[in-house]
Amino acid sequence: MTEPHDRRRGETGPPAQHGRRRLIGLVAAITATVAILGTLGYFWFASLVPSTYSVMDLGYAEGGGDPTTGHAHGGLSIATLTGPDSRPDVAVTLIAREESYALASGERVTGYTVNHTSPGPLVRATVGQLVEVTLVNDDVSDGVSLHWHGVDVPNAEDGVAGVTQDAVAPGGSHVYRFRAEQPGTYWYHSHQASEEQVMGGLYGALVVDPRQPAAGQNDVVVPVHTYAGRRAAAGRTGTQRIVATPGDQVRLRLIDTDSAPLRATVTGTPYRVVAVDGRDLNGPTDVTDPAVVVAAGGRVDLGVTVPTDGKAVRLDLGAGSAVLVGPPSAADPGPRESAATLDLLSYGTPRPTELVTAAQHPDRTFELSVGRRPAFVDGRPGLFWTMNGHTFPDVPMFMVRYGDVVVMTVKSSSSQPHPMHLHGHHALVLSRDGVAASGSPWWTDSLEVENGQSYVVAFRADNPGIWLDHCHNLKHAADGMIAHVAYEGYTTPYRVGGSAGNDPE
Amino acid sequence: MRATYVWLSRLIAIGVVLQAMFIAFGMFDIIKAVDDGKAYTSDAYNAGQSLHSIFGSIIIPLLALILLIISFFAGIPGGTKWAAITFGLVALQFALAAVSFGVPFIGLLHGLNAFALAAVAGIAGRRAQTATPRARPEAVTPA
Repeated sequence: MTEPHDRRRGETGPPAQHGRRRLIGLVAAITATVAILGTLGYFWFASLVPSTYSVMDLGYAEGGGDPTTGHAHGGLSIATLTGPDSRPDVAVTLIAREESYALASGERVTGYTVNHTSPGPLVRATVGQLVEVTLVNDDVSDGVSLHWHGVDVPNAEDGVAGVTQDAVAPGGSHVYRFRAEQPGTYWYHSHQASEEQVMGGLYGALVVDPRQPAAGQNDVVVPVHTYAGRRAAAGRTGTQRIVATPGDQVRLRLIDTDSAPLRATVTGTPYRVVAVDGRDLNGPTDVTDPAVVVAAGGRVDLGVTVPTDGKAVRLDLGAGSAVLVGPPSAADPGPRESAATLDLLSYGTPRPTELVTAAQHPDRTFELSVGRRPAFVDGRPGLFWTMNGHTFPDVPMFMVRYGDVVVMTVKSSSSQPHPMHLHGHHALVLSRDGVAASGSPWWTDSLEVENGQSYVVAFRADNPGIWLDHCHNLKHAADGMIAHVAYEGYTTPYRVGGSAGNDPE
Repeated sequence: MRATYVWLSRLIAIGVVLQAMFIAFGMFDIIKAVDDGKAYTSDAYNAGQSLHSIFGSIIIPLLALILLIISFFAGIPGGTKWAAITFGLVALQFALAAVSFGVPFIGLLHGLNAFALAAVAGIAGRRAQTATPRARPEAVTPA
């Protein structure tokens, strides 16, 4: 193994030269060490996140083509952007607890509940009604908050600890008020220590009914959640029956409350995708085979007609979870998982949308490109997500002005799908991978961006405040996949960390 | 210095063996969970995978880095070269892992490179043990 050349190296030449060579060697060794440790030390130090900070100081501002834009400092406090204070039409008290509880199907889970159940109570309102929810934290030691996922509420009602409010400490309470404006399927969940709390069960469904509900329609709310490896639909594992009469129209409101996309397969009858993320689709057509994918955090409403052939409609939600809709004795068509996927980009009927025209001359153009690389985040080494090449806390803050038309390209080259959730706004999908949307207008607040995909979406900046734009794979969010959309002239008085212990992710 | 180098290279090789053990544990854990009717989802916690990620992203890279720095001072013929190759394979292992999340069959190369890493770390240690030292730079006391 040893080589004679190696053995003799360093031992030739006169002693003086010999000593100098050793010295040069030592200097080189020290230089190399300092260079390596210095570089790593710099990256390590630069990645440290202060124990308390304002998101207003986080990362860097992107102007989206407006050179006058910088990080906003000062301005109107978003705490003033509250909902109406008239008499509420729907008043609900939701009490969060940290406890061991039984699912509707019997399995015991240790985690979090709302009013002693998970999912928490369904909150239901009609368009135009003022909803008032009093959140009480009974004993959740980390504190809690409630985010109204998909509802474009005024900023101070958005429920993000450290950004739009302080986390509610045990024994404390917080009142949320907002008007139900758009009919559709939504959900609520904690946005304090959300990875831990949402996973543990601190969530529930929220439905806004239109003023004139569709006559003779059965309405079934199906929040899907995986509790410690047990996938449950509306809190029940396994196969459950929803009783309906042959010929009935049924609206199945699917909510994916997990961190990964949900594939739902319908068997026994054709289905229609009647709404996505709380927005009705235009001219939905019958689909027979393909599965529909619900983005993590997203909602998809399916319309089915209970068949008259004596069989039930079967909705497979993966991992052994299924819903049968039909008479109690209706035959089960059997489990099925379709390999095909319905593409919403070309589904339904186009309809002229003012935003599509406006987006041809946007006021702001942003790109949100997700990658992954070895890095330090808060001093911790690992393979971390990057947004526009930066890791947390050096995240982008997309600056907008009220009334701006914003076009954003969202893409992933990070090997994994990312369900990007923009708070307070609905974005319209314009294209994917260069192919223009050709179906119904597809409005979304939770868009699953798969690896290698590039979506172009547009939204109107019509809801002032400081909003999160983050990955709803909550593990990814906890690892720093959080950007913000901030309106110029607004600031938040709340801080992440600090005495309230705010930890939005 | 040389003893430290030898032990670090051994620890890296042992680390690779542990990584194989962790991932086997993690894999069987997933299979059992699925067989028990549980859903293995993005939210699921897996002890084997967790350990693999901690060892892979923190402990082994740290050992490889220390080995490289020690090699500058240890005066072991070829010591820096082999430490650098070891470090390079650790970096490659990171890259292969990153790609494998999207293209799982690249994981085969991640597995293969693990053996290369263990072998190279082993060679580095063996060479350091048997090679005659060259005049070590730290023998010089800078004035």
